[in-house]
Amino acid sequence: MQAERLLGETVRDAGDRIRAALAIRFRDLDMAEEAFAFASLRAVETWGRDGPPRDPAAWLYAVGRRRAFDLGRRAKVREAAVHDAPEPTPDPEAILVAAFEPIPDERLRLIFVCCHPALAPEARIALTLRTLCGLSVERLARAWLTTEAAMLQRLTRARRKIRDTRIRFEIPEPAAWGERLEAVLATLEIAYAQAYEDAGGASETADLAGETLRLSGLLCDLLPQEPEVLGLAAMIRLAESRRPARLDAGGAMVPLSEQDVALWDSRLIAEAAGLLRRAAALGRSGPYQLMAAIHAAHATRRETGATAWGDIATLYDYLLSVRPSPVAQVNRAVAVAEARGADAGLAALAAIEGPARLADWLPYQAARAGLCAKAGRAAEAADALRCALALGPAPAERLFLARRLGELSA
Amino acid sequence: MQYLLIIYGDETFNSTTADMQEITAAHMRLGAELQEKGAMVGGNRLRPSDTATTIRTVGGVQSLHDGPYAETREQLAGYYLVEAPDLDAAIAWGKKIPGGPNYAVEVRPVWQM
Repeated sequence: MQAERLLGETVRDAGDRIRAALAIRFRDLDMAEEAFAFASLRAVETWGRDGPPRDPAAWLYAVGRRRAFDLGRRAKVREAAVHDAPEPTPDPEAILVAAFEPIPDERLRLIFVCCHPALAPEARIALTLRTLCGLSVERLARAWLTTEAAMLQRLTRARRKIRDTRIRFEIPEPAAWGERLEAVLATLEIAYAQAYEDAGGASETADLAGETLRLSGLLCDLLPQEPEVLGLAAMIRLAESRRPARLDAGGAMVPLSEQDVALWDSRLIAEAAGLLRRAAALGRSGPYQLMAAIHAAHATRRETGATAWGDIATLYDYLLSVRPSPVAQVNRAVAVAEARGADAGLAALAAIEGPARLADWLPYQAARAGLCAKAGRAAEAADALRCALALGPAPAERLFLARRLGELSA
Repeated sequence: MQYLLIIYGDETFNSTTADMQEITAAHMRLGAELQEKGAMVGGNRLRPSDTATTIRTVGGVQSLHDGPYAETREQLAGYYLVEAPDLDAAIAWGKKIPGGPNYAVEVRPVWQM
């Protein structure tokens, strides 16, 4: 149906702008969603009956604004009501049509509000995807493998906290900028990491990966002078480029160094390269650019047929100096092993100050297995594989580890 | 809107006299700045948790106990009650509250009546 298709296109192109404008203008995330939903319904009715408006996006925004205003007025009237107060009469939309405002771009403000560090990371990303991107509660619940009720509660709590603690609907002051931007980037990073975990890319998580990728791109448009924003977007694109190659036909994980480079998405790799060049030109390095550079170094296997492990090990040195993490230390040890030999890698692995007990940590055991095998220490490799399998790997990784164990025992 | 900034510290931490003097001086400076900016509503340092007495009501029945409510490593050490326009302003004040190397400040909005 024409009206529905036009609505769909308009929402796809301008939905986030309209939602953000409504949310910021009325300082109420809940009400903005209601207003937008109302406007969308009215659009299908009215456009179907009267034909499409000249500017569908402006139409949606105008009707949404009016609805939000009415909802706000009713709420105040309800709160203040001593006597029965009359319902406000709705203006005919023809009058609204004459009073079209351009839609202000409040998307950045909304992102900063939804990603405030006072909110828990899972709440931040859910709120951003719901409020800015308009993802349904049902879809969010599936992406996080939780129930709709639980997701709804998460969103409600977050909105309530924003309201009750009075989080400002403003772009952060310069003094707070670094910390607030870091919170936004961390939100996207954590969300993507969750999607990345599921190498199989069951539709829900592939969905989440796609949405995070899109969001990271939007941030680049909104903050083109922030190199870490560009770095994060590059990193996500590079990681996502490998999705088609990450599993074999049997559903087992394929390690990066063994993936078929022909399956990597070259468009995403090229986009990432462009972003990294722009970031480098801004002259301020940072952890996201470094992580992206590591991914990019792996991606050069497409061009050269070999992996620049020495470069990768060096990049991990830089990364660890600005953002120490046990995972990065494990990955560095693997790179060191490739560049300087298995014994060097094993020494690096043993030196890791990891979470409580290294032996109980899956990435450590998986890496130990690989490095021991490389060093010809088959019995230790098999032991590490058994430990790794006992630590509850995800299905795809489990298949891979089990197969390796089978090969070693044969 | 008012926010309560609740200071939790590790009472087992032995700070030197010089450290304590520095922290106290920092509190005085913070208090003065809060006053100057019209943000100070109240604030106090509390005596250590072993001076606490807790009145517990369980199932409607009250009883007295020697000691603080929770036997945790971090104990309530003091508070500031500030007037601030929004959460970020309250957090900014909270970050200025001095302490040893390990402590926490909880920022809680006060219910407006």
